[in-house]
Amino acid sequence: MTKLEVRGVGKDFLVPVIDSVSFTVDAGEFVCLLGPNGCGKTTLLRILGGIEAATRGTVLLDGKPVVADVRHDRRVGVVFQEDRLLPWLSLRDNVMLVLKPLGTSVDQRRTKAERYLGLAGLAGFESYYPGRVSGGMRQRAAIARALAIEPDVLLMDEPFGALDAQNRRIMQNEVRRIWRETGRTILFVTHSIEEAVAIGSTLIMLSARPARIRELIRNDDRLERAKLIDDLNTMIMEEVERQQGAGPA
Amino acid sequence: MSARPWAARLHLPTLGVAALVLAAWVLLSWRYGAYVLPSPLQVVYGLGEVVRSGDIWRHTAASLSRILVGFGGAVVVALLMGLGSFLSRTARDVIHDFLAVLNSTSVFVWIVISIIWFGLSNWAPIFTTFMITLPVVASNIVEGVANVDRRLLEMGDVYRLGGGEKFRSIVIPSTLPYLVAGMKVGFGLALKVSVVAEIFGVTSGIGYIMNYSREILATHMVFAWALVMILVMTVTDKLVFDALSRRMTRWR
Repeated sequence: MTKLEVRGVGKDFLVPVIDSVSFTVDAGEFVCLLGPNGCGKTTLLRILGGIEAATRGTVLLDGKPVVADVRHDRRVGVVFQEDRLLPWLSLRDNVMLVLKPLGTSVDQRRTKAERYLGLAGLAGFESYYPGRVSGGMRQRAAIARALAIEPDVLLMDEPFGALDAQNRRIMQNEVRRIWRETGRTILFVTHSIEEAVAIGSTLIMLSARPARIRELIRNDDRLERAKLIDDLNTMIMEEVERQQGAGPA
Repeated sequence: MSARPWAARLHLPTLGVAALVLAAWVLLSWRYGAYVLPSPLQVVYGLGEVVRSGDIWRHTAASLSRILVGFGGAVVVALLMGLGSFLSRTARDVIHDFLAVLNSTSVFVWIVISIIWFGLSNWAPIFTTFMITLPVVASNIVEGVANVDRRLLEMGDVYRLGGGEKFRSIVIPSTLPYLVAGMKVGFGLALKVSVVAEIFGVTSGIGYIMNYSREILATHMVFAWALVMILVMTVTDKLVFDALSRRMTRWR
């Protein structure tokens, strides 16, 4: 069942950043968007989430067009690079806040918030304030918040970029576990090949700016991990060179 | 707790200097006489009189009630300006220019205008206090609103929070430290300005009684009332504003 359809999406900011990108995402897929830094991955994600407008092309979520700043009846959860939690609210209150527009009672919101905080591994920390927990825990809370609205699609923009290598590994496993437990459709932007191969079910490699799809790979167990990582590394370095040649990011 | 030496924590250096000032005071008062500089003892006696007669409550209450109306009104208008500056870019620019003009208008202009407009009534000092306090509190609030983290607002947009909800949950808590800081400064200013405005035309209040004491050559009472003012300022600072500040930054 097709969840997300991207048709000829392009974006210009004085110069073309995204040339033309087309792909489809089925429900329950875990898609990783890869590419050299500055190639437009984040911009693409923001367009898919309706945060930014595309210059060309259309995005269809469950068949309905996604237009920037226009309410869509489907739910989109976003996890940004920074946790973007409200520092003056507890973790639980942060999650409950985004449940308010969904029109449920306070008790239902509290139960949901605690359930998803538990799912994200934060059981017992619900009453803590963001300033009192570690960066990894804050990102978990941001993930719990995105999951709590039970989104049709979950967008994640390099969410583990600010974490140390150890925490990153832990969080990658956690996201993979959460994906299996909830069956959500996830679009995950990263510049780390290893991360993408470890967690994605589908990998989309974008070319250097202006972005086009260079390669789309179904990451199933038939592929040999090490070789895949090698091939992708070669590919991304080619694109990085091409982008360096073209000008600063 | 910091490892400051106990002498510093008890404000011993300050007390030391204060003792020197006191000694100088006694000498100068003996030299220049009670009209110019009453002795510390006379001032304390004056303070005692003020407390015993109950005048301290009567005049402090009169001043404070005027301050609260003028200051309170300024806070309300300042909050509305904050809301306006958040909602509209144009409003923000207009408010900014308007406040710049108000900020540069002196107290005396408002005192004179208020007497012309409101006569010799309570409303004159209230109006003066309002006009002087407004730009201070409003500037702080508008600055606070301008400094709200846009990324948090974007998060609010992504999660479909309505304008009112965004204002309540994101803008206001973000702006509170600026608001409290502005109110603290504004209140101090309101106290000073109101007391001056009370010289012209009212028949109660700290400013009135200080001026009256000057007219009847009771300089020791002038000093005594100055002490009362300092007391009021210290109490409100510690009990009200510092407590508010602490409560609001619990989450840091």
